[in-house]
Order: sequence, then C-alpha cells, then structure tokens
Amino acid sequence: MPDLSVILAGFADAFTWVNILFVLGGVLVGQFVGAVPGIGPVMAMAIAIPFTFGFDPLAGIGFLIGVNKGGLVGGAIPAVLINTPGTPDAAATALDGHPLAKQGKPLKATKMALYSSVTGDTFSDIVLITVAAPFAVLAIKMGPVEVLALIIFAFAVIAGLAGNSIVKGLIAAVLGLLCATIGTDPEHGTPRFFFGYFELYDGLPLPSVAIGMLAISEILRRMAEARGNVRAAIEIPDAQDHADTRISFREYWGCKFTMARGAVIGTFLGALPGIGSTAAAFVSYASAKQASKEPDSFGKGNLHGIAAAESANSSVVGANLIPLLTLGIPGSVSAALIISAFMIHGLQPGPLLFVQQGQLVFGLFGAMIIANVLNLLVGQIGLRLWVRVVSAPESFIFSSSLLLCFVGVYLASGGLIGIFIMLVSAVIGVIMTAHGFSVIIFIIAFFLGERFEISLSQTLALLNGRPAELLNYPVALMLFALAIASLLWMRRGNQSAAAKQSAAPNR
Amino acid sequence: MGGDSIPLMQNLSDRIAGLLIFLCGLFVYTVLIPWQVETVEYGAMHPETMPKIIAVILAISGLVLIARPTAPITTIHMRWIRMAMFATVLFAGLFALTRFGFVYTAPPLALAIMLLIGERRPFWLFLGTAGTPLLIWFAVAYLLERPLP
Repeated sequence: MPDLSVILAGFADAFTWVNILFVLGGVLVGQFVGAVPGIGPVMAMAIAIPFTFGFDPLAGIGFLIGVNKGGLVGGAIPAVLINTPGTPDAAATALDGHPLAKQGKPLKATKMALYSSVTGDTFSDIVLITVAAPFAVLAIKMGPVEVLALIIFAFAVIAGLAGNSIVKGLIAAVLGLLCATIGTDPEHGTPRFFFGYFELYDGLPLPSVAIGMLAISEILRRMAEARGNVRAAIEIPDAQDHADTRISFREYWGCKFTMARGAVIGTFLGALPGIGSTAAAFVSYASAKQASKEPDSFGKGNLHGIAAAESANSSVVGANLIPLLTLGIPGSVSAALIISAFMIHGLQPGPLLFVQQGQLVFGLFGAMIIANVLNLLVGQIGLRLWVRVVSAPESFIFSSSLLLCFVGVYLASGGLIGIFIMLVSAVIGVIMTAHGFSVIIFIIAFFLGERFEISLSQTLALLNGRPAELLNYPVALMLFALAIASLLWMRRGNQSAAAKQSAAPNR
Repeated sequence: MGGDSIPLMQNLSDRIAGLLIFLCGLFVYTVLIPWQVETVEYGAMHPETMPKIIAVILAISGLVLIARPTAPITTIHMRWIRMAMFATVLFAGLFALTRFGFVYTAPPLALAIMLLIGERRPFWLFLGTAGTPLLIWFAVAYLLERPLP
C-alpha cells in the first residue's frame, strides 16, 4: 500500500485549478458527444487521446476520464428524448425514459438519469479507490505462470461474452495476437513481420490500431449510410409544470434501493474483463423489474427503470479500472483507450504502477471524484443546451472527426505510417464487424499480446520441459480451471441462445 | 422459402469467412513466417513459436467455422460500395498528405467528404472545409507547438 503522504499528495495534485479545468473540459466534451447519437464517448476518447500527448499525464488522463463519464450522462439524452441511445449503454434507459418523455416530462426523465448515473458512478469509484491498492499488492506477488494463467482466463471470459460464437471470439483474439507479434520478438530482440519498414520495429502503434478500428470504421459505416440530413431533431416543450421538469428529493430517495442494486451489479460486472456497461444496465433493469411491486409499470415511464439502468451502466466505469490498474488488463474499450493514454505518457498500467506512480494513481482517483461532481453540475445546466447544440449535421461532424483522427494519430505515432496503419485497421474493423467478429476482443488481445508472449516464454523456462511442475502453482492451476469452466459455461449459454433464435422464425 | 434463405446466406457468409481465416492461417504458417521471421535456435521460445501457434489456431478455427457456422444474427448489412468510395477518398487523402502536407490537403479532403455525404449548404461546407482545418492548425501548430504532417 502506498504511504498516506503519497495518497494525499495525489489527491492534492488532482485538486489544482488546471486539473479541474481539464476534467471540466472532458465532462463538457463527453456530455456533448454522448448526446450526439452514434458518436459517443469512445470515439471522442479515441480522437482526443493523441492530443493529450502535450499535456501533463494527470491532466491528460483526467480529461479522458471526464469524457468517459460525461459521455455516459450525455448518452441518456437522445435515449430519453428520441428513443435513439447516444451510446449502447443507454439502450436500457430508453425503455422507461422515452415513455416518460412522451408523457410530456422529458426533463424529469433526463434529470433522473443524471442523478442515478452520478450516484452509481460515485459508488463504483469508492469501491475502486478502496479495493485497487490492496489488489495491486496481491498482483505484484504473481509470477509469470500466474500472469499467463490470468491472461488466458481473461481471454476465455472475453471471447465467450463478446458475441454469439466462441469460435469467432477466439479468431478475433488470435488475430489481435498475430498483429501484436509484428515488431521485435520480446525474448531474442529479432524483427518479425516488418517488411523492411523500420518504423514497425516497435510494433504497430496502439493509438493507430484503436482509433482505426473503433473510430474510423464507425465513421466509415455511418458516412456510407448518411445522406446529408440534419440529425437529432430533439425538442423540449417550452411551457411545462415545474414538478414535471425536476426530480424531488422524495422521488430520488424513493429509488435508493434500485440505485444501490444497480450500482452493485454494475460494479461487480465492471470488475470482470469483457462485460460491458450495456449488459450491466439490462441485468439491473431486469432485476429492478423483478423486485418491483408494480412490474407492469416498467416500460411505461417508471422512474425506477431509469434509475436501475443508469446507476448500473455508470458504475461500470470505475469498476473497469480495477483490472486495468491492478493487473494491466483492460476490461472494456474505454479502459483499452485509457491504456493507450497511459502508454503515450510513458506509463505501464499494472500493479507496479501503484509503487512507481502512486501519486499519479491517487491523482487519477481524485480526478474521478471531481468528474462526478462536475458531471452533476454540468448536467444540471447543460441538459437543455446539449439538445440544441447537437443539431449540427453529420457531414460536418464526420469530416471534422476524420481530420482530427488524421492529425491525432500523426502526433501520437510520430509519422504518416501511423495514419496508414489507422486506415488499414479501419478497413479490417469494418470487415470484422460486418461478419460478427468483435473488434473489442481484437484490441484487448492486441494490447495483451506482448505480455502474453513474455509470460509464456518465462513459464516455459520455469517449467523446463516438465509439465508436472505446474502443480507447484496452485493459483495458476485454479485460473486455468476457471478459464476452461467459463468457456464451457458460456458455450452452453450460447447454444441455448442459438436454439431460441432458430426456433423464433417458426413461431 | 424466404425464411430459409437468410440462414442459408448466413451459413454461406460464415463459411466463406471460415475459409478465408483458414487460408490466412495457412498463408502465415507457410509463407509469412519463413519469409519474415528470423530463425533462432536457443531460448525457451523461438521467435517463430508464437506466430506458428497463432497460425495453427487460426487455421483450425477457420475449419471449425466452415463446419459449424453460427446462428443467423451476426451479419450486419452495409453499403459496401459507398464505404469503399469513402475509404478510397481517405487513402487518397493520405497520399496527398505525404505530397502536399496538411495545410493544402485538409480543406479539399473535408470538402470531398462533405460533398459525398450529400452536404450542399454553403454555411456548413465553409465551416467544415475552412473552419475545422483552421482550428486544428491553430490548436496543434500554434498552441501545442507541434508539427503538422
């Protein structure tokens, strides 16, 4: 555990005016882009990462945390008002948010989403702050065999959860690993797959691959569908009853158990690699409906429905950072992007981060708390504003985003080859998405590839050709067993889901 | 008839994808690794070990996908021709960037993209082709003092 002085110094770093302004900027950008259907905080983070290169690490990462958290609040706005979730996480919010908006209470619905989002987010941040450091102490004691087993376990969970086919998940992971082998071999230092381009000696740049696959591929898809129309025709009635535009404390407090349940579900699922906030929102929504005395009112504008979905999807953000900061394993796309930001600033996420950069980590925790407070304040003022600002046409948004991606990747990778890799990654991302191969698994596997190879090499050296030596590593054995068990369990789940789908057309 | 054709198409799509993955694994194992990976004879793992494991898993997974295609829910319909057109514009933009630099490439690139999307309003065209490149130039070259491509 870091000293108290380090913890306090970290929090003091976060609470400087410069950092607060950067977090505020991130929250503003996040809420804005979250409110534009189809853009979302992931794309905004991907575009913003290279621009944080010139910032102080805490300011840069704090800005990205602000974008991520703000985006979750912003995503609920179009979900509630036009039944088009700005982010996939907000799809469950639309189930009750939109009916409430149609009853003439759009601000009530968006404010409930805001309050429950901030509540869930704060809960998971508290869990992160209290749990991450002790976890990191345990993680430092893990040797190469345990690390290898942990990465295999993470792959097993991610491959099984990200789609309807474990084989496709496996292929996506293996393709990511293949791309990770480009560059220098970690054991011998010999070049692999560099085709005479010496720029590839350090491997493919993570920002190029991540931005290409996540942002450019999505922009390509949406540009192909666009026809120059102005999106987001969002309107709020001018004259409304005061009670219909606000959430009273009684209404908020009435949802306390729903929000608490959602926050616990989101935090638990968020701490597991690969389970996104969308799944957390729907699990929380279903459990709230099940626990309700009036389950029939769900889907018709029930405040508990909004509270359940938003508290769960927002609490995933903080929890996602638990595996990232303690083990160096990104639990989601946003976490993978935050890893890119760490690496741009020369930092390696993982348990040693607490030892080597403890002050920065606790500064980051401080920035997360600040982001929650600012999310609430900006949301209070901004809800009305965003719905008017987001009426810019897609043609302008996409062309500007593309130019930002070009320049951003050039700055991050230090050359035009980075832009070329970004465009090739985008094409691969489009093809993969069209055929049901998860780009998220690809990116996570790509990031973990080098560590996986180093751990495998060290494990083989330790075992020295005697597999029975594995018995001396009970934790690793347990993780291997868990990996197999989770694959089998998810295969069973996928098979039953596939059976239901194939039966559906016959009904 | 119509109900049966969608699963059949999905099966076909997955089988073609499986075949391509299988061929990719084969290509990596037989062509790329001997060509692009140096041979080292010492150490717990050789430089080609990991790529070879990956190639074998790819080939086997491709065969599994051919044999057992997934349920008919994953294919996302896309406008491939329009998407290819936009991708070509972006690659052309990159080529122009290497020759003429950001200042001379960004405005025509943004204009081409906006026109292809269907934007015809002068205000937005002006904002996209002049406003955004100017803002980027100001932020990167002037404020951050970093070179643009």
